[in-house]
Amino acid sequence: MNTFIRLTSGLSRILGIIAALLLIIGVLVVCQMVFLRYGLNKSTSWQTEFVTYVLIASTFLGAPYVLLTRGHVNVELVPLMLGPKSRFILALFAYSTSALLCFVLTYYSFLFWHEAWVEGWTSDTVWGPKLWTIYLSMPVGFFVISLQYLADLLCLITGRELPFHIADVNEEAA
Amino acid sequence: MDPLLLGLLAALALIMFLLSGMPVAFALGFTAILFLIIDDGIGAFDVVADTLFGSLDEFALLSIPMFLLMGSAIAASRAGSDLYEALDRWLYRIPGGLLISNIGACGVFAALTGSSPATCAAIGKMGIPEMRKRGYPASLATGAIAAGGTLGILIPPSITMIVYGIATETSIGRLFMAGVLPGAMLMLLFMAWSWFYAYKNGYHFVEKDKHYSLRDKLIVLPKILPFLLLIALVLWALYGGVATPSEASGVGAMVSIILVMIIYRVWQPTVLWEIVRSATRESVMLMMIIGMAGLFSYMMSSLYITQGIAEWIAAMDVNRWQLLIYINIFLLLAGLFLPPVAVILMTSPTLVPIIIQAGFDPIWFGVMLTLNMEIGLITPPVGLNLYVINGIVKDVELKTVLWGALPFMLCLVFGIFLLAMFPAIATWLPDYLMGPVF
Repeated sequence: MNTFIRLTSGLSRILGIIAALLLIIGVLVVCQMVFLRYGLNKSTSWQTEFVTYVLIASTFLGAPYVLLTRGHVNVELVPLMLGPKSRFILALFAYSTSALLCFVLTYYSFLFWHEAWVEGWTSDTVWGPKLWTIYLSMPVGFFVISLQYLADLLCLITGRELPFHIADVNEEAA
Repeated sequence: MDPLLLGLLAALALIMFLLSGMPVAFALGFTAILFLIIDDGIGAFDVVADTLFGSLDEFALLSIPMFLLMGSAIAASRAGSDLYEALDRWLYRIPGGLLISNIGACGVFAALTGSSPATCAAIGKMGIPEMRKRGYPASLATGAIAAGGTLGILIPPSITMIVYGIATETSIGRLFMAGVLPGAMLMLLFMAWSWFYAYKNGYHFVEKDKHYSLRDKLIVLPKILPFLLLIALVLWALYGGVATPSEASGVGAMVSIILVMIIYRVWQPTVLWEIVRSATRESVMLMMIIGMAGLFSYMMSSLYITQGIAEWIAAMDVNRWQLLIYINIFLLLAGLFLPPVAVILMTSPTLVPIIIQAGFDPIWFGVMLTLNMEIGLITPPVGLNLYVINGIVKDVELKTVLWGALPFMLCLVFGIFLLAMFPAIATWLPDYLMGPVF
């Protein structure tokens, strides 16, 4: 089980690094595009579409890492009001509901990707890239978030981590 | 089923999932898919991935991570404290001058980073200890910074305005411009209150023993001027119609990283990596909410809920000002619990057509909406800025911060009234610079 948790967080981290690199690539391409368009007065072809896709890929691939590092905002009002036991039950509910959503999205975005791959969809622009390359980020991202949620659930049940990572006031003072 | 009843159920379900502590993005996504299935059965799944992808497939969205990157580069440097130092040197002779320069620093830093928590953290770390050292009560010092930080989402460039612009198909450049005067107005309101409070309670604090010569005043400027110039350039490029928000922000991000490297000698790979990392986290989180909110509004309109609500409100036959009051109360309540971006995405597709129908300007409404969201940032239960401040000055109780922020919250409410009475505060500048819409 430890191996699973470690592997999952390792995978999330790698995807997180890829997401950050994609963002850097996005910045560079935008600058290149601006230079071409306004500096050299040339027209640009693939850049607009490319950076849009880069950002989408960065979003889906970065999501597991953001979950790992508690970056997805949530409303902590009720969890903070509850006692430890009910908070644990609520955390079970919240984690498994989110996990369920991510599994469902993994499956359906896989189907979506698969269709684009089999049918050889391309985007209807001059550049016309193969769409499956971009769609791939969705099933991969959601699959790893699902794994990350499983790992979180395991940590929660075995008591390795506190529900919603909220430390009790007494513990914090100690 | 009746669309209104369905809408009510969807709202209740969403609130339940949100309160369970699920991430906001997933609560939106789960509710959306649940109601699509209720309406359409398993077949509804077929469109989910396509819709999710489609709601992110938008070039203008790129300006969000770019502005975030620009902000996180500046926030990682000492620009905040230099700015603070500069304003202090120029304003130290005014009663309550330190408070006023803190609020001013918040306003300028808000323009640089476009982020409320980053502004609170950067100025608060310097400003709050300094203010307390000079005898200002903790509540006033923390409240002023919490409030000053809210300007981050109003003064351009602002992430929430970008999101509003995309969601309602209004011009982002125009929205940015519309935020300038209301931002200045609020800054003045905050300053006026601080000055009044300091004056009334005898916190004059004109330091007799302290004197800054003109040389002292000028010597701090070179470090901050390049950043101010950068912001001015980015905004000029936007309003002059020279570049799109995504292009301007991309170049802005690049230049701000280079400036931080040159001026503050931030070149260590770990620090640079941290800049990119924090921008990526923030961007992924926001984009995920944007994607899932896209799914949510798809559900709302394919179940005719959006249209149902609009018809229902039209049938209520209230006058437009009553309508505006109801909408404001609704937004205020939503803003108390949810991050601004989520509120905008969930409500604006429904509200903006109603607002236009009632004869209001959508650009003006975007500013109004943002002011409501600002109140949410300094009001419990969520009040992000309060927690940020609480994290910086650990010896001040959250309750004290809250009481200190309360008068500033009232300033915001007053600001909303002023904006409702004089819409030109928001619309004059964009109309003057870019010509009227029609």
